[in-house]
Amino acid sequence: MLRALGRRTWPPVLAILIALVIWQVTVWSGWKPSYVLPGPAAVFEALGEQLATEKFWIAIATTMSRALVGFGISLALGTAIGLAVSSSRVLRAAVGSLITGLQTMPSIAWFPFAILLFGITEQAITFVVVLGAAPSIANGVISGTDDVPPQLVRTAQVLGARGASLYRHVMVPAALPAYLAGLKQGWAFAWRSLMAGELLVIIAARPSLGVQLQFFREFADTAGLISTMIVILVVGVLVDRVFSVMANRVRANRGLGVVRL
Amino acid sequence: MTSSEVAIRVDSVSKSFGRAGREVAALEKVSLDVAEGELVCILGQSGCGKSTLLNLVAGLEKPTSGSIDLGGRRVGMMFQDANLFPWLTVRGNIDLALRLSGVPREARAERIDELLDIVRLPGTGSRRPHELSGGMRQRVALARSLAQDCQILLMDEPFASLDAITRDAMHDQTERIWAERGLTILFVTHNVRESARLGDRVIVMAPGPGRISHDVRNSLPRPRRMEDVAVATAAGALHDALQLRDDEAARA
Ligand SMILES: Nc1ncnc2c1ncn2[C@@H]1O[C@H](COP(=O)(O)OP(=O)(O)OP(=O)(O)O)[C@@H](O)[C@H]1O
Ligand SMILES: [Mg+2]
Repeated sequence: MLRALGRRTWPPVLAILIALVIWQVTVWSGWKPSYVLPGPAAVFEALGEQLATEKFWIAIATTMSRALVGFGISLALGTAIGLAVSSSRVLRAAVGSLITGLQTMPSIAWFPFAILLFGITEQAITFVVVLGAAPSIANGVISGTDDVPPQLVRTAQVLGARGASLYRHVMVPAALPAYLAGLKQGWAFAWRSLMAGELLVIIAARPSLGVQLQFFREFADTAGLISTMIVILVVGVLVDRVFSVMANRVRANRGLGVVRL
Repeated sequence: MTSSEVAIRVDSVSKSFGRAGREVAALEKVSLDVAEGELVCILGQSGCGKSTLLNLVAGLEKPTSGSIDLGGRRVGMMFQDANLFPWLTVRGNIDLALRLSGVPREARAERIDELLDIVRLPGTGSRRPHELSGGMRQRVALARSLAQDCQILLMDEPFASLDAITRDAMHDQTERIWAERGLTILFVTHNVRESARLGDRVIVMAPGPGRISHDVRNSLPRPRRMEDVAVATAAGALHDALQLRDDEAARA
């Protein structure tokens, strides 16, 4: 058990170690003065200091609640649109390619428009986060239901499943792995859009991870800046892991191989 | 045809696949009447259109021409591949079939146990399809198709991947359920002796394009066994019928 855990953890740990070594060597090489590019030790010290401040936790809380709201709306909207499009030929012809188009649009390009529409407000951020994440989630539903093996659909029809019961008992469970992959991708888009939003839409007197980044940049505090970046990376990766674990558990239940999504 | 009612009427049905101009004819002018309560085996080599015929009878595909009339009877089908739902356990698969047939929740658990006994898989209920062997999967599929509330049961090579002993047991069970429920069964097989063991009638199909070449009545008394001399003799006669056709084909 412990050994299995060890086997799974050592590769990422090794990768992190290698990154730290490269970083430290770069600092030692004197490529940039240490106040511009501090070494790992200074950054982790800054990180420790940050974690002890109340402001940091308020910032995290703001950012996470925005992520939650934005991702939650994307989840509801993306799932509903995905189900509607996958079950209607007309909607598919009309909206299908639009959804893919939206997915290729860099979300940061929406911000000027969102700011004109909503001003410097929470809504502007949520708007762009949803535009970033919902199409991926909808696409997960659509590709999932498209890829249901036809022989399973036939089997279900012979067993008497029609219309809504076919959807409920076969299409939806069969599409679950693709749906989870869509959620994972949706989360990645939501998190990126949110960080872009927090840098562009700075709401006064409301600390957030994005505002922290701006703040450290203005004070040329690179150690603080990098430590905030590490926090952003860690949060993003942790949530992503949750989706990966869910997806792989579902796949394992069906005898499908584990994938590194 | 006897005086009893016709359950399946296949009337000069043709089926071709593919785009216009490049069609492949899978069936050509197939006509077949199956009486209610009859157990009819369909025998024929690979690719002669047996599965296609079953799909048409099940209504999963539309004939290119001709018509099929089941007189409004409900059809159950067991496919050539087990096609179990991979997200459900063995019990879950059977449960879904019962549920879609309108069996109330309270009655389902007991029925599932009963069906698992019939297919000789007690105690595997909580396993997932991918954790079973091919033969076990086929038997779960059989249990699932028996769970359906149907009057016509279509079975596509259901026992092809079973060992001889299990297969004999499945023959007995199929026969029992057929008699108990008064089912009408179309049973596709490659195995000449199996068709002689099970069928009231054996329909021999020929390929290129698929058609019926022989319609042989098999009135050996039941119960029968694979090892019976009479079954072997009947199988021998069927073999000759198949052989004869091959010789004709060779001469043509
Ligand atoms: N969906 C399809 N598209 C194109 N051709 C098909 C399709 N289904 C069947 N065919 C063709 O129709 C013919 C009959 O196929 P079918 O599956 O009915 O054969 P079969 O008698 O069941 O064979 P087997 O014993 O190997 O299962 C074959 O030539 C096959 O290639
Ligand atoms: Mg076949």
